[in-house]
This record gives sequence, C-alpha cells and structure tokens, in this order.
Amino acid sequence: MTQRVWDLPTRIVHWFLAALIAFSWWSVTYHHTGWHIWSGIAILTLLIFRLLWGLVGSSTARFANFVRGPRAIASFWRGSWRGIGHDPLGALSVLALFGAVAVQVGLGLISQDEDGLYAGPLARLVSSDTSDSARDLHELWFKVILGLVALHIAAILYYRLRGRKLTLPMITGRAAIDPDIQPMRPGKWWIAVICVVVAFGIARWVVAGAPPFGS
Amino acid sequence: MRIALFAATLILAPAAALALAVISPGDAARIMHDRHEGMEAIGKATKAASRELQGAAPDVAVVRQSAGIIGGMTRKASGWFLAGTGPNVAKTRAKPEIWQDPKDFTAKLHNFQMAANAFNAAAAGGDVNAMKARFADLGGTCKACHDKYRAPEENH
Repeated sequence: MTQRVWDLPTRIVHWFLAALIAFSWWSVTYHHTGWHIWSGIAILTLLIFRLLWGLVGSSTARFANFVRGPRAIASFWRGSWRGIGHDPLGALSVLALFGAVAVQVGLGLISQDEDGLYAGPLARLVSSDTSDSARDLHELWFKVILGLVALHIAAILYYRLRGRKLTLPMITGRAAIDPDIQPMRPGKWWIAVICVVVAFGIARWVVAGAPPFGS
Repeated sequence: MRIALFAATLILAPAAALALAVISPGDAARIMHDRHEGMEAIGKATKAASRELQGAAPDVAVVRQSAGIIGGMTRKASGWFLAGTGPNVAKTRAKPEIWQDPKDFTAKLHNFQMAANAFNAAAAGGDVNAMKARFADLGGTCKACHDKYRAPEENH
C-alpha cells in the first residue's frame, strides 16, 4: 500500500527543471542563443514558484519541514531517521541544486554573448565588461551544476542498489511509507494557482528589464 | 602510365594551388593578430551599439561611433582570411572549413561587409528604428559566419 509523498507541483518543477537544464545546454551549444535565454527565464519562473511553494505548499514541499541542522543529518547517517519526504542529508542536496541553479540564472540575466548580439534582460543594469565577466562565470558555473547533477544521480543509484527506488515516486507521487508516520498534508490548489501567477508576474517584470523597466 | 599521370595531376593540382597561396610565417602571424584584434574591436563596438539601441533613449552618437568602427574594420576584413592563417598554423578559432568552402565563406564575408555599410548609413541618419533594423541585419551576418566557421571558445 502506497501513500502520497510528492504533490503534483513539486513533481512538475522537478521534471521541468531537469528538462530545461538539458535544453539550456543544448540550445546554447548549437547556437540557439535566443531559445537559451527563454529557457533561463522559464527556469527562473520555476525557481520562484518552488520558493513560494516551499513556504505555503504541501508538507513535504516546505523547506521548514525538511531543511534540518547537523544533528538531524548525523542521526540520519546513523540510520535512526524516520519520516516522509526529503531526509536531512537529501535536503542539503536540494538546497545545493536550487542554490546553484539560482546563481546560474542570476549570472545569465546580466550576461551578454561574446558578439554583443544577445543579452540577458538585466544586462543593461551592469557595464559591458561586467556582462562579459558574468558570461565567463556562467560558463564556468555550469560545471558546478553538472557536478551536483552527477552527485544527485549517483545518490539515486546508490539507494537503488540498496533496494530503495526513488525515481518512481518522483513520477507517480506515491511511495510505500510506514503507516505510523504522519502522512503528507497536501497544499491547497488555489494557493498553487496564486504562486504560479506571482512567479509569472515576477518573471515578466525581469524580462521587461526590472526596476523601472530597464533604462 | 597515362592514367597514373592523370591521377597524379588530379591529386597534385590542388596541392600546387594551395602551395602557391602559402604566405610567409611572419605574414601569417601578423594577419592572425590583426584579425583577432579587429574582431575584438568589432565585438566591443557591437556591444556598445546594442546597449544603446535596446534602451528607451539611445545615444545616437555612440551608435554612429560604433557603426564607424565596424565599417572601417569590415574593409580590412577582406585580408584577414588568406589561406595559411588557419588552426594548423597557429592557435585560432577560425575553422579549417573556411578554406575548404571558400566560395561560401567569401559570400558570407561579403554579406557582412554590405550589412556593415548599410548600418553605417542608417546610423548617419536620424531614424532610430532604421538603425535597429540594420543592426539586426548586421547581427545576422555575424552569426551566419560564426555559427559555421568559428570554433567554440576554449574552456577557461
């Protein structure tokens, strides 16, 4: 008997993020810089939504419920953690991935391409030299994201070898959970709608060139 | 015997043509240096023009100056891609394909030169929308060559 563990918004964010990271790499590698920029803006929208959903969404999506201190991580390491959703060590992985992607989006927003033909929507808020440096860092930072993605996949494979399947629950949203563990409290659908609207609104504002809509 | 001679001619003729085109190592180094510096200057001017043209109130003087720099550089660009200035000679992002399909490359280079002149002419006028349109055309000609004939930036 399985129980709900990941709600639909959390799963959508997860798989869209994975797909858009791949698409961002592909589009910029094959000179579709315009698509690359829109992919980054889509990722920005996902990040804003996930941040909001992490405050007011389902219990397993909320940062307050899964981001834990070193003591909880140590207890998890000793094997005495029991719960639903992200374990205390996995929480660090979640934070690292979202943090690294947020840095990458921030760098991309102020970057310009080496020929001066494409620029992130906020590039004109900084100098041309800063935009060039941001692009160099943006390229370099991708290696950090690749490293974290590799770690993420390695952890999933490790659990798989020990008999725990993590990928299927991220698709179906359900997993076998001990009956004595408090089940997931689902978030309200209309709160998810508000989060989507706010995320699109902020992303739209960034696309316009932010503060007074560019300069 | 005659067939062998014919075959040898077929193989050697293009090689002889390339050999004729070979330039001295000093010339090659100078051309590649000028090419690199010239492309850098074009890139810098393009960025300056782009920043103005994207803004609500473009500084036309900056656009004109950039268009002038790009126009001047394109006139020199005809001498930047002589045979013997490829990656087999020294470190460059210019791909060998440039010299494998010189007809296509020369046509693209010509498009770039024409577009730069058109942008320069538009910048000399006062119509910002015309400048934006010619700038977009120019960008397209940069991209046409760079996508096909420029190797990726080396990893930092």
